[in-house]
Amino acid sequence: MPKDAPVDPRGPRFSAWMTTVVLAVVLLTGWWRLLAAQTVLFAMCAFISLKLNPWGHVYRYAIQPRITPTTEREEAAPLRFAQGVGFVFALVGTLGYATGLTTLGMVATGFALIAALLNAALGLCLGCEMYLLLRRYAPALARPQSQ
Amino acid sequence: MTGVWALLGALAVAGAIGVLFKVREGRISRRDSSADSMDLPVPVRDLLAPGVTLVQLSTTFCAPCRHAKVILRDLADRTDGLTHAELDVTDLPDVAAQLGVMRTPTTLALTADGTEVLRVGGVPKRDSLLAALQPHLP
Repeated sequence: MPKDAPVDPRGPRFSAWMTTVVLAVVLLTGWWRLLAAQTVLFAMCAFISLKLNPWGHVYRYAIQPRITPTTEREEAAPLRFAQGVGFVFALVGTLGYATGLTTLGMVATGFALIAALLNAALGLCLGCEMYLLLRRYAPALARPQSQ
Repeated sequence: MTGVWALLGALAVAGAIGVLFKVREGRISRRDSSADSMDLPVPVRDLLAPGVTLVQLSTTFCAPCRHAKVILRDLADRTDGLTHAELDVTDLPDVAAQLGVMRTPTTLALTADGTEVLRVGGVPKRDSLLAALQPHLP
């Protein structure tokens, strides 16, 4: 598992806003193929590298040069863990929509949207802070990406 | 139409959780001093120093733990009789469970004999924490 370097924390916040918009569109339209694409994106970021996130590239090339530089850096491990949590919800949501279990799809997508919005608006990563709780009730999640 | 209601519901829940977390962030809870200090897990007991030790429980996946560390380390450096120590419980869930800790960062203020005087959930607020610790400092 490659280890990502620490990142400018405003990048993941921008990415979380974009994810919130994508998930809101999914909820409004039920367009499960879009949710499937988001699921793949979550998986790539969680299990391969944050560098594969296209929103990160948009931030780096279009936004970062236009705003005040910061020396603040955020470790990649919590960010990747958050992407992993998003992946689980998005996967369940995709399967729900695709198999006709629309309520399941909406609930799972709703959870993913709540997490993304809290991350975007408040910088709050529910899954990261509640890791101990998640680990207690879902031991399979323990250290999903040991580095 | 159902999708609209689902979206509005998700936004409302996110708002409620956000408010709850903001209100609880840095909240200090005082502990019952009769709690048995003998129950303290060994990895925590090993960190105790003279005076009061702020034992910060963190995990690898906890982004705000870094902010808490900066605040607590600075506070300990400037305060006599106060020490800061960080314990990574990513692979020590039993220790966290034994202490009744579900969220990181959580900081325990412990005396040298292991008595817990208070605990803070989330990133501590420097001034209110110092005020709460004052009666226990030399």
